[in-house]
Amino acid sequence: MAREECKAMLDALNKTTACYHHLVLTVGGSADSQNLREELQKTRQKARELAVTTGARLTVALRNRGLAAEDRAEFERLWVAFSGCLDILEADMQRALALGAAFPLHTPLRPLVRTGVTGDSSRVAARALSARSLSHQAERDFDVSDLKELEREVLQVGEMINDMEMKVNVPRWTVQAQQTAGAELLSSNSMGASSVGAVSVEEPSRSCNPSKALAATLFSAVLLAAVALALSVVKL
Amino acid sequence: MCGGCRGLQRNTPQAVRDSSDLTAVTAAGPLRPGGHTLAAWDYRRPGTLVPLGPSPGEPLFAGSAPGPSPRPLGPLVPWKMERMVVRMQDPDQGVRTRSQRLLITVIPHAVTGSDVVEWLVRKLCISEEEALHLGSLLAQHGYIYPLREPRSLALRPDETPYRFQTPYFWTSTLWPAAELDYAIYLTKKNIQRQGALVTHEKEHYDQLHKKINHTWDLVVMQAREQLRAAKQRRKGDRLVIACQEQTYWLVNRPPPGVPNVLEQGPERGSNNANQVQMSQSLDFYKREIEWSRKALGRTRVKSSICLEAFLTFSHQRGPHDPILAGCLPSNPWVTDDDAYWAMNAPTVAMPTKLRVERWGFSFRELLDDPMGRAHFMDFLQKEFSAENLSFWEACEELRFGGQAQIPTLVDTVYQQFLAPGAAHWVNIDSRTMERTLEGLHQPHRYVLDDAQLHIYMLMKKDSYPRFMKSDMYQGLLAEAVIPLETKRRVFPFMRKPRLSSPSPALPPTSGEPSAAGSAAGGDEES
Repeated sequence: MAREECKAMLDALNKTTACYHHLVLTVGGSADSQNLREELQKTRQKARELAVTTGARLTVALRNRGLAAEDRAEFERLWVAFSGCLDILEADMQRALALGAAFPLHTPLRPLVRTGVTGDSSRVAARALSARSLSHQAERDFDVSDLKELEREVLQVGEMINDMEMKVNVPRWTVQAQQTAGAELLSSNSMGASSVGAVSVEEPSRSCNPSKALAATLFSAVLLAAVALALSVVKL
Repeated sequence: MCGGCRGLQRNTPQAVRDSSDLTAVTAAGPLRPGGHTLAAWDYRRPGTLVPLGPSPGEPLFAGSAPGPSPRPLGPLVPWKMERMVVRMQDPDQGVRTRSQRLLITVIPHAVTGSDVVEWLVRKLCISEEEALHLGSLLAQHGYIYPLREPRSLALRPDETPYRFQTPYFWTSTLWPAAELDYAIYLTKKNIQRQGALVTHEKEHYDQLHKKINHTWDLVVMQAREQLRAAKQRRKGDRLVIACQEQTYWLVNRPPPGVPNVLEQGPERGSNNANQVQMSQSLDFYKREIEWSRKALGRTRVKSSICLEAFLTFSHQRGPHDPILAGCLPSNPWVTDDDAYWAMNAPTVAMPTKLRVERWGFSFRELLDDPMGRAHFMDFLQKEFSAENLSFWEACEELRFGGQAQIPTLVDTVYQQFLAPGAAHWVNIDSRTMERTLEGLHQPHRYVLDDAQLHIYMLMKKDSYPRFMKSDMYQGLLAEAVIPLETKRRVFPFMRKPRLSSPSPALPPTSGEPSAAGSAAGGDEES
């Protein structure tokens, strides 16, 4: 079905965009390297391919006049999510360009900012490309040639967004999202628990403590009552 | 390759202009070429791309203000802070870093507050107090963040550890912090904390859910995916990135009670006045000298003298001021009774006593009041010097009248007042008369100014004192009416029946009957 296909492609695009965002965060920091720039390039190429195919599919679906009402609503929802995703991607690409130009790697005019991030980002890129693992070695002057290409790609993405908006007219105010506020909590318990453990090292979450204190006082009160009863029984 | 990369460094805009379709990149405006329909829904207005070529000492992200609405930069331009942070990163000359130990993970690049302050003192040769202030500014703008208490962005000059913010989140880039990003961040936090958000964050979350409801699917999807992507990293990196993002949002969406450092107050926004050129041209200094010389030569009155004059003025005018001394019969704004205005109309049969007294303050007062002028004219007619006042009035008309009437008016004045043997010949001294007659050949608005002044001074010195002492004036003073104050109502809440004014839509045909009718109507209502 067209709808499931579109949804699957949108999910893939979403995943790639999220990974790209995560990688761009570290540009200019201590984890910056030619490898990172190459990973960025691969990720954004994948994202662009996905965007082109998803966009084409969605455009075709929405320009089809003979579409049922709830189908249309569904596609419009997908369309809004898709264009938002593309906006995020475009903005991240521009920021990557600015940061990449500001922190050139081949001739270190400027030292990289010591942000404390030192690890490898290959697993993030592998996730973006849906590959098992990524082992590569970028050449020394990769980022220079990459920057020009990146500029071109940014413009292309912008044009693509414009094109799509011209072809399909989806008024945003009529679209209602499926997810309610707090929907993310329902199906993400497993993810939440481990992350809580990770973050709690720096910021101890205080929410447990009051309930724990309450439970402790209650238990001790019950214990005292039991001890008092026992004593009274003994006395009797 | 080196030439290419040098081109990229030095003047990146030129390097980019090689291919024609890249010219749009260097424009300072928004990046979408041509008009686009997304303007209203564009939550992520991107800034411009190209920073200046990074040469040492140049800011990284200068000129990256987005075209349509650049944020006003105050005196503390953010890229000065950025430059300082970059200098701190130098491996030899920069700030000393240590490692942070957390149970099992070790994260490098931690800086203590005292190190930062000491580095600032050493590098900029400033006092410790100033270094502390600078350091706390850096912390407030989010360039360094504390590791122990991440919520309070303040610099402490002791062993508290800090870390540097990643350039993506620097405030000097002026990239807008979009609602969509904030929503994604809050959703991520929601997932991580199992719904236990801080109060103001919860409020923001609900507001955003209403505001950008249409993209909420995307928000949830992105939040989940970003968390999954972060899990692919080492634990230490994950922590650092989470802290960086938190600091960014603390700066861009401060919790209630914390001042927003990114806001520019109204007085700071106008930076134009502060941008003084250091070295001006020669002409500028010549003009300044001339202006200062003229300023020295201006007549000045000692404040002791003008304050005395001010005191006498206030003393004299005090009882005449309706606000200071109350107005009789009653304040129309308070009691809806316009007797006060009726009594003090420009032309009225019986002038009030205060008004007649005012004629005695100065000649100008007398002439400005139409009634005063009329009485003065009567007096002058008795003294057979009325032509002075007529001439003066004619000159006023010339000065303030229409441009087209000037030639005819000047002619009339000449015929009536200035020609030898005229009907109402005025007595002007010979020099002024010569000058005026010469000027009459090219008549303009101010051609009779000298003559008018002469006559004015004559009247003021001569006729005016006599008028003040005359019987006519004293008679007016005696006859002048002091209006009675309206009786205060015993029951203030009983409203006086209001006379409704005739509707402005209707033509004012019947005055009395309508007023009587509406008064009756008002009575019935109350």
